[in-house]
Amino acid sequence: MKLSIQTTRDDQRIAWLTALAITIHIAEGALPSPIPGVKPGLANIVTIVCLMHYGWRTAVWVAILRVLVGSILIGTFLSPTFALSLSGAVASVTVLGLASRLPLGLGPVGYSLLAAMAHMTAQFFTAYTLFIPHQGLFHLLPILMTVAVVFGLGSGIIANQIVKSTSINL
Amino acid sequence: MSRADKLVIALAVLLLPFLYLQFWGNHSRGEVVQIRVAGGEDMILPLDRDKTIKVAGALGTSVIEIRNRQVRFIDSPCHGKQCVLTGWLHEDGQLAACLPNGVTVQIVGRDNQFDAVNF
Repeated sequence: MKLSIQTTRDDQRIAWLTALAITIHIAEGALPSPIPGVKPGLANIVTIVCLMHYGWRTAVWVAILRVLVGSILIGTFLSPTFALSLSGAVASVTVLGLASRLPLGLGPVGYSLLAAMAHMTAQFFTAYTLFIPHQGLFHLLPILMTVAVVFGLGSGIIANQIVKSTSINL
Repeated sequence: MSRADKLVIALAVLLLPFLYLQFWGNHSRGEVVQIRVAGGEDMILPLDRDKTIKVAGALGTSVIEIRNRQVRFIDSPCHGKQCVLTGWLHEDGQLAACLPNGVTVQIVGRDNQFDAVNF
């Protein structure tokens, strides 16, 4: 018996975009990092572009699938790294969902910055509650937040350029 | 970039100095002192009440003093006196230990079950 799954245009688009995000995610994983756990989060550019072009629902699929498949490929599935990654992704898409429903008129830069800060905050508190419940961890928070703001802005500016130079063919 | 974007950037940049002040400026002061004796009960004492405590350890009696929201070992029946040389503890998470006598003193802010988990 031949089994076939009907895929919609939407499914295929999500698959393509997720594949792109996973590629960036893994390529970034190979980059050396000065502080353990600090990454530019370039894969989030894809999430922001998705949000701008195709809406929040597609962005959520791409962000969550990227974390799942990315962790299986790298080998961190269900490890602490995965817990941190997932909590960050869930927090950032939640914030993006709220921000895109409010009549704020935000652009890619604002969305990216909000997402990056939500991502870092969620990861920090996941790390604090699950893995390192020590007050000393709070000394790292300002540095981590600075990094989040810098990379969030950077990713946002890149996403802004991409959104401007790509047209949507639905 | 829209005006909303600029507003978000401004708020984010304003948040940073606040975070540095909050977490780097004033060191968080602990609330209680936790005294542990190997094989014995843990003791939790408030930091704001001055007191001198005698604790019976494996070798003999360790004397611990709480004064001015600080705590230190005054004496312990060990050779190296590392615990006494540690001096005053005042910040959250600081710890002094007399291993020969099996006594540790730590300032704790909240209920810590463990220091860290590694995989």
